[in-house]
Amino acid sequence: MAFPSRPNETGRDAPGIEFSLRWRSSRHARRLLTLGLAALFIATVARRPEFAGLAAPALLLLAAGRSQRRPPRISLRARPSTRRAFEGELVAIDMAVEGQGDDSVQWTLHPGREIDPVGATTADGPQVRFTFSPQRWGRRQIGTMDLVLRDRWRLAEGHLTVELPALDCYPAPAEQRTQVVLSRLPNRLGEHAGRTFGDGIEFAGVREYVPGDRQRSINWPASTRRGRLQVNTFAAERSQDVVLLVDSTSDVGEPGTSALDLALRGAAAAARAYLEGRDRVGVITYHWGAIGWLAPGLGRRQVYRIIDAMLASERGGTGPAYGTSMARLPRAALPPGALVVVFSPLLDQRFIETLRDMRERGFTILVVDVLNADPPVRPRSTDRMARRIWRMEQEAIRFSLRELGVPVVHWDGIQSLDLPLARYTRRPLIASGSRR
Amino acid sequence: MTRAIGPVHVGPVVIGPVDAGTVAIRAAAGLLGAGCVVWAAAPLVHKGWATLALVLAIAGVAAGALRLVLSGVPVPEDAFLLPASLRACLRFLEMLRRVPWEEGAVIALVWLEVMHRSRPWHTAFLGAALIAYLLATHLAESDASPAVLRPQARVLAVGAGLLALGAGAGMLSATGPGPGSALLRLVAAGALIAAAALVLPFVAPPSPRD
Repeated sequence: MAFPSRPNETGRDAPGIEFSLRWRSSRHARRLLTLGLAALFIATVARRPEFAGLAAPALLLLAAGRSQRRPPRISLRARPSTRRAFEGELVAIDMAVEGQGDDSVQWTLHPGREIDPVGATTADGPQVRFTFSPQRWGRRQIGTMDLVLRDRWRLAEGHLTVELPALDCYPAPAEQRTQVVLSRLPNRLGEHAGRTFGDGIEFAGVREYVPGDRQRSINWPASTRRGRLQVNTFAAERSQDVVLLVDSTSDVGEPGTSALDLALRGAAAAARAYLEGRDRVGVITYHWGAIGWLAPGLGRRQVYRIIDAMLASERGGTGPAYGTSMARLPRAALPPGALVVVFSPLLDQRFIETLRDMRERGFTILVVDVLNADPPVRPRSTDRMARRIWRMEQEAIRFSLRELGVPVVHWDGIQSLDLPLARYTRRPLIASGSRR
Repeated sequence: MTRAIGPVHVGPVVIGPVDAGTVAIRAAAGLLGAGCVVWAAAPLVHKGWATLALVLAIAGVAAGALRLVLSGVPVPEDAFLLPASLRACLRFLEMLRRVPWEEGAVIALVWLEVMHRSRPWHTAFLGAALIAYLLATHLAESDASPAVLRPQARVLAVGAGLLALGAGAGMLSATGPGPGSALLRLVAAGALIAAAALVLPFVAPPSPRD
């Protein structure tokens, strides 16, 4: 038995769902019955009536307990505080039961995989609240709830086990405050200082006054020095297109800090950072034989769309859009002149070939290497040799990408993304001309 | 980006730090069980597998007490990757929780008592102690307060009366040993139980139905 997954069916005012209870004798009742029957048996066999007296209280209790009311059905309501949470976020679920009468209610939460309970997992009362925290991204089943109703005499127990609704757990975005900005920006209003002059606020230089210039922009000290009127010029403020490319072909490393975990957290952080800078951000997820994408967009909601698209691809779904080849991606998914930020462990040769192909087509690419695992260390010399060869191959891959003009930075998943990217966030990244 | 969900109120904690009341009830259950064993065993007899019954009673009471003490120990859902020693501990804990130790102890104690010659008031005290032991065990394992027994007080009082009447029936002076006196005693015991059945609806009226 389970609760519906649609949120509006378990909303605040939604009626509870009826469940049937399975009643059976409690352990206490079974013990009393054992005592009563054993004593009666002895009384009959040994012809000693004092043992019948010994059986009397136990049997009396059992007989009296039979008259207690036991509701066959109850109404349950489960209301999670949210249906979407980030890794490590605190979530609460409120449980309520109706129709239990005078019976006492005991709840026991059995958390699902990657769900860590916070506080008690057992509680008494008709209305209780459990708190928990999802530990890893993905669609997570909160778990199951065991409900035990006990009659007033505690001789019978009604049992019910229900599956709790699922929860969408988003990867917790890493820390990133700075942005990599291209040297050549499209002619679209934004917050990055472009190379061209415009109406921004960042000082760009001084030039001679021409009729039509605003009087307030006259630089009087410079005019005094040169003897002619000089005006200040400012950099135009532009926005850029950023496409996050997430490689999910390989997931190596410990669960929770694997390459895919880091890729998703890094991509979420990048999406948030660039969207806060008024850039248009999209995502492409690359996995075996299929590509999912979400066209670049603006606004805070785009963060959630991007994470949803990444998780949909991970679940094996198609996401918002679907394809089989990077070469056939529409311009909307990969706009010319966009900055492509790649999160990959660089283990799949086909993906590396795809990166080279994109670079040759003129895209400006920045690779964040999220590989933090090595092959296991074994004492045999052949294993050590294989490990060395593997490392050299990895270094060769990164070297060849750098030779093509693709910067590769390594991120360990612990420190802020600003640190590995610092070299490229201090000044604009030279954009190559798009020949697409 | 973590969003606050507002103040979180956690429900009443049942498993967690054990309070003094719970410890007292668990200790009471263990002591009552031990007292029942001593009461039923003394004086020691060596006939009709009494020694085996004594061993079983001691094992049942001890294991039951240990189960109550370890009731708060959590069990991981997936024990596959745990070390062998920890897996063995978990298996022992599971065995401790599955086997009905108290039932076995009760049967062994009744068997020990019947191995002695007829001593009705001794048996009546054992019956009272056994009921107290079972109630204390129930309170300890369900972490309930003794107040939950309040609705059963009248029934328990009637049961105590029946226990005393049963002991009195056991002390009926028959004219001599033989099938007649035994039948008389059994008829008396049956009459007691029938009387209890007649009294019961007035002592414990059924709950009002909706």
